[in-house]
Amino acid sequence: MTAVVDSLPLTDSVAPADQAALAAAVAGAHASGTPVYPIGGGTSLDFGLPAVRPGIGIATTSLNRIIDYPARDMTITVESGITLAELASTLAAEHQWLPIDVPQPAIATLGGLVATAWSGPRRYGYGTPRDYVIGISAVDGRGMPFKAGGRVVKNVAGYDFCKLLTGSFGTLGIISQLTLKIRPLPQASAFLLADLPDAATAERLLAAIVSSGTTPVAVELLAGPIWRENARLGLLTAGETLRLAIGLEGAADEVPWMVNQLEDEWRSLGVTAARAIHDEAARTLWRDLTEFSHAPDAALVVKASVLPSRVTEFVELVRGIDVTASVQAHAGNGIVIARFGKFEPGDVSRALIGRLQPAAALAGGHAVVLSSTLGGLTRQAVWGGVEDSAKWMGKIKTQFDPAGILNPGRFVY
Amino acid sequence: MISPVLTSVADQLRAVVGDDNVLAAHSDLVVYECDGFVIEKNCPDVVVFPRHTADVAAIVRVCNAAGVSFLPRGAGTSLAGGCLPVGGGVMIVLTRMKRIVEINLRDRYAVVEPGVVNIWLTNALKGTGYHYAPDPSSQGACTIGGNVATNSGGPHTLKYGVTVNHTLGVEAVMADGTIARLGGPTEDSAGLDLVGTLVGSEGTLAIVTKIWVRLTKNPAGVRTMLGVFDSAEDATNSISAIIGAGIIPAALEMMDQGILEAVEAAFHFGFPLDAQAILLIEVDGLEAGLDRQRDEIMRLCLENGAREIRQARDSQERLLLWKSRKQAFGAVGRLSPSYCTQDGVVPRTKLPYILKRIAEIGAKHQIRIVNVFHAGDGNLHPILLFDERNKAQVAQVLAASGEILDECIACGGSVTGEHGIGVEKISFMRKLFNENDLAAMARLRDAFNPEGRLSPAKMLPVAGACGLEQIHPGRHAAM
Repeated sequence: MTAVVDSLPLTDSVAPADQAALAAAVAGAHASGTPVYPIGGGTSLDFGLPAVRPGIGIATTSLNRIIDYPARDMTITVESGITLAELASTLAAEHQWLPIDVPQPAIATLGGLVATAWSGPRRYGYGTPRDYVIGISAVDGRGMPFKAGGRVVKNVAGYDFCKLLTGSFGTLGIISQLTLKIRPLPQASAFLLADLPDAATAERLLAAIVSSGTTPVAVELLAGPIWRENARLGLLTAGETLRLAIGLEGAADEVPWMVNQLEDEWRSLGVTAARAIHDEAARTLWRDLTEFSHAPDAALVVKASVLPSRVTEFVELVRGIDVTASVQAHAGNGIVIARFGKFEPGDVSRALIGRLQPAAALAGGHAVVLSSTLGGLTRQAVWGGVEDSAKWMGKIKTQFDPAGILNPGRFVY
Repeated sequence: MISPVLTSVADQLRAVVGDDNVLAAHSDLVVYECDGFVIEKNCPDVVVFPRHTADVAAIVRVCNAAGVSFLPRGAGTSLAGGCLPVGGGVMIVLTRMKRIVEINLRDRYAVVEPGVVNIWLTNALKGTGYHYAPDPSSQGACTIGGNVATNSGGPHTLKYGVTVNHTLGVEAVMADGTIARLGGPTEDSAGLDLVGTLVGSEGTLAIVTKIWVRLTKNPAGVRTMLGVFDSAEDATNSISAIIGAGIIPAALEMMDQGILEAVEAAFHFGFPLDAQAILLIEVDGLEAGLDRQRDEIMRLCLENGAREIRQARDSQERLLLWKSRKQAFGAVGRLSPSYCTQDGVVPRTKLPYILKRIAEIGAKHQIRIVNVFHAGDGNLHPILLFDERNKAQVAQVLAASGEILDECIACGGSVTGEHGIGVEKISFMRKLFNENDLAAMARLRDAFNPEGRLSPAKMLPVAGACGLEQIHPGRHAAM
């Protein structure tokens, strides 16, 4: 944690207590041309290119108030520095939640989640942060506060800065306040698990999920040492290489029905050893699946986005490059997260830029680096090649941060 | 009279797309003088129908070279004047770009051109177990390109979300005439969410020429209920109780006593005419949970004072119930010669208050107002009844409309849930947003559309000027 914050070249740091103080801090930095590094919980500071220019850290930790929580309207307005654990406990008191899985929830902040557009296994059933942010306030690179959206669930007045700022890595503005659409907590949660001999079998089952009579909220394909032996999954049998975990959530009468239904569907596809886990065991597995991507000590963690039908072949490619890699795929969404055990700096251009990124492109998408202990990664290595959208992103950046002081040098521009 | 510059532009456009795809005679252009917002009208100077993305890019380059403004149009069903060619110029009508390019069920997406009518996609998916979720009531006519421009909703928004939640990527011709591919069939593209930023930008940032949409699994079952209430407050309290119990219906629609009279006269459903409010409630999903949800909803409605609540007897009755709701606006003609529909939004729990205020505002201005709307997400569509030949009444309707929308803002809501700002609601932007907010929006527009030649005079108020002044309200239908 601290080590990661220490990795930023900070000459000073401040923790504004309200939006006006935040605006004043950024305006001061703008006047002197000083870079500004927004810091939430500090759990994702290694996502993106390493910071090089010395500057000030602006922490949102003191911006952590709950502004308005009209539970029966199923919306909440909070400041951006609230931790996800505190947000979750506030919502749970009203049997509600924000159904997005975030590693390190005790320290990770909502602002950081939105700025990185992070999401985990439940994205298959519930979507990603862009689907939940309905109002946003931020301070741009001049120190000017601005907002968009509102506090109602349906609203098309004006440009949608909720979307523009979600996933913008603090490079267009520092988010100070958010209004979220929230949902009722499901009554029950379970997994149906199966171990599979090969990629072809996995693809057959993944394709069958598309037409299943059930409505899973997570479709996870797992491989490698970390998943070979997991307290909740048990030891992988000899001869099997891939594990499939289907997350099922809903009302108390729906979940057992879905478990039985999916077991029946799998049996007709030749899977006889499926097993279900519920309650506390399921909760532990959700946690493992959520925390997997957070591996600051791993040599290299890559996230690829490919077509769902190409997930299994991409997983095989990763394992071909490094048999010690562990892989988690949100297979229904085509997201593959690969944790490489050992990765030599010399392999970056050969394996990452030479093989993984082109393979992701062939499978319809791209690959980015989530974190790495390797030094000197280039923009090409971290964010992939330049696309025709880059020109327009650069123009937006210039409009919102003309001096280029917000989180400089770390994002796609 | 068309200027020499525009004559030359029309000739150049004919060279790009052929004579059959260019209109420049006044008698042809009149068709395009407005969309569903009929208060303001203005003819474009030229209408052009591209068939390919490259045509659109070439058209934009011709306009830029000549310094002529241009704007896109789909089927013209929008209700806020987003397709009004303010100041004339070239209108790029995308209805001849109407191919469904690809349907990929394994990867749950489809690729369509902007002129594809919303219902065509769902029809093309029949029998696959999947559908395209956004379903505006105009879905039989409106185009998916137009849905992207306005971020359209529909009755199923409550559970399934609006257009932006189902849009994965777009190909667009930018204001400088270049072509950009943003997003696509895979999720999480690197960098800024330009797709999310373009959806709902009302044609002011780019012209979308291809769209990747997410497909949604059909629900296994459905239960449709009809609740009858002696007061609007009991009905809105029931809505809060249902949502508060953690049930998210697929649709939750309300009709008040005023509109019931017209709907009953038109469709003979058998609605009790003395009821003050009717709720149409639909839950869908796994069969396993539906009967329990239905029973729970019925219990909550009775607890909150429902006179009667029952399930639609069969699929025929369910269809008639939905027909009565979706075509309610058509039935309003039985109540008065003209009507004007608004599109305010309030937090769901403010529904009892806002309905009371709407009635008071109507009484104050001596205008009869009836209500049929998306109650589940607090999206009101008050319908103001009047006779447009009566000038005094017209002024009263405008005053009442403004007061209702001001009241929505005071409740913490918005002046548009799904119709857009267009030209109709520009004057409200200053009430919703401050100078900084509007300056940030202007900067975003400048990043994409620095010359302001694409869809001028839309959405953002011009510094120091008022929005278009309304002279008389429209007869436009709502969704």
